[in-house]
Amino acid sequence: MKQEIAIRTESLTKRYGEKLAVDHLDLTVAEGEMLALLGVNGAGKTTTIRMLSGLSVPTEGTAWILGKEVKKEKDAVKRLVGISPQDTAVADNLTVEENLKFMAGICLGEKTRIRDRVEEVLKSFHLEEVRTKRAKTLSGGWKRKLSIAMAIIGEPKVLFLDEPTLGLDVLARRELWREIEALKSRMTIILTTHYMEEAQALADRIAIMIDGRLEEIGTLAQLEEKTGKQGLEEVFVYVAEQAGNQNGSVKRG
Amino acid sequence: MNRTLVFSKRNLIEISRDVLSYIFCVGFPLVMLFVMTLVNESIPKEAGMTIFRIDNLAGGIGIFGLTFVMLFTALAVSKDRTSSFLVRLYASPMKSSDFTNGYLLPMLIVAVVQALLSFLVSLVISWIVGYSLNPLGLLLGILALLPSAVFLISVGILFGTLFNEKAAPGLCSIIISLGSFLGGIWFDAESTGGVMLKICKALPFYYCTKAVRAAIHLDFQAESFWIPTLIVAAVAILITVIASLVFRTKMKADLA
Repeated sequence: MKQEIAIRTESLTKRYGEKLAVDHLDLTVAEGEMLALLGVNGAGKTTTIRMLSGLSVPTEGTAWILGKEVKKEKDAVKRLVGISPQDTAVADNLTVEENLKFMAGICLGEKTRIRDRVEEVLKSFHLEEVRTKRAKTLSGGWKRKLSIAMAIIGEPKVLFLDEPTLGLDVLARRELWREIEALKSRMTIILTTHYMEEAQALADRIAIMIDGRLEEIGTLAQLEEKTGKQGLEEVFVYVAEQAGNQNGSVKRG
Repeated sequence: MNRTLVFSKRNLIEISRDVLSYIFCVGFPLVMLFVMTLVNESIPKEAGMTIFRIDNLAGGIGIFGLTFVMLFTALAVSKDRTSSFLVRLYASPMKSSDFTNGYLLPMLIVAVVQALLSFLVSLVISWIVGYSLNPLGLLLGILALLPSAVFLISVGILFGTLFNEKAAPGLCSIIISLGSFLGGIWFDAESTGGVMLKICKALPFYYCTKAVRAAIHLDFQAESFWIPTLIVAAVAILITVIASLVFRTKMKADLA
């Protein structure tokens, strides 16, 4: 069966004054695929998903989310995507359940649908035990879980997870991986990370971004074969060094 | 409209669970009501000073309380604007009008509750000090406060949009001092005359206080009630439109 394209970018570029944050990015992501955008801080990962989710206007080029153009059909794009920003974007004084109801109210509208969807998400994300707890009292791991749950409650077709496990301890990270893993194939996911093991464990394909440019993309096996290196860390270092040799030093933000 | 109500509900819950809202929006105005009543009781009758008499004080405190609702609005908006929570909402189908109306509506509820409480306490104080306030006047006073509430809440939205969490409260404090002083809350502006009265009349705060005091006194003459009310309503509409436009512009800039 032919897979449909969920995300397509064409020469997608973002400049902030003199700084080129994303440099002519050409990318396609199939429906149901999970793509990891891997790169050091300042590589352009967050800027890329900001442009794809309608939070930032591309300086040049464009992108399509399920056929909707991000520049011209912003409202339609916003109805298709969900985003879990880098910081835990939750309403601190609201309980877990209230946070979910709030986002469901914003994205879904219909009252009975909201109630059912909140219960569904509470269950699938194993948030029932903290449903009456205020968000500000939750641990980092629970907050991230809630943040992702809020991103998917509107039943988006495309989900952007920006550094979802940043700063979490190993146990909380593994638990969150399980939740993210469970979302696979139900929606198209772009995950930004600078944790090699995270990209390796979760993603179908890995895109390596260096200084705003997409340097390599493929499955781990394809990347290993292309670079002649073993393991994602070795592949990444090799790609980064090659890019650094071509363009001067690799910048770190 | 539905998204506005959903966002309003979220804001109302956040406010109701923040202890600062009780201190700013209820506690402080009530403390001032008690303190100024004590001041009034300490002033000899021969002085003929009536500005702190409960019938005048109640209206003044009503406006003074609203300036704290303004401060709280500015804090809430500026805090949201610096958080990634707003980033999430920017990526949702919410429009800029959903945001501004979503801040305005719950703050109006806070303003009405604040006015109800401070007028109820004023009524009790009036019984204690032996100056009977008309409950109907107080109820109409709450209605007369509404244009002022919209005006001051919109100033709060404007400041919260333009300035960050640290600058917005400081700037609001200037408005609180300026508004309560030049609005004739703490002195009788009418009795000053000259340049002072001209300055007071050039600013909307004077009309805010005048309209609500007139309503409490059941004085609905054009000069004392309708003209000040219309002036405040016009300013409220103007500031609300400006706040909405500024929020929309800032939102667009954030999404550039």
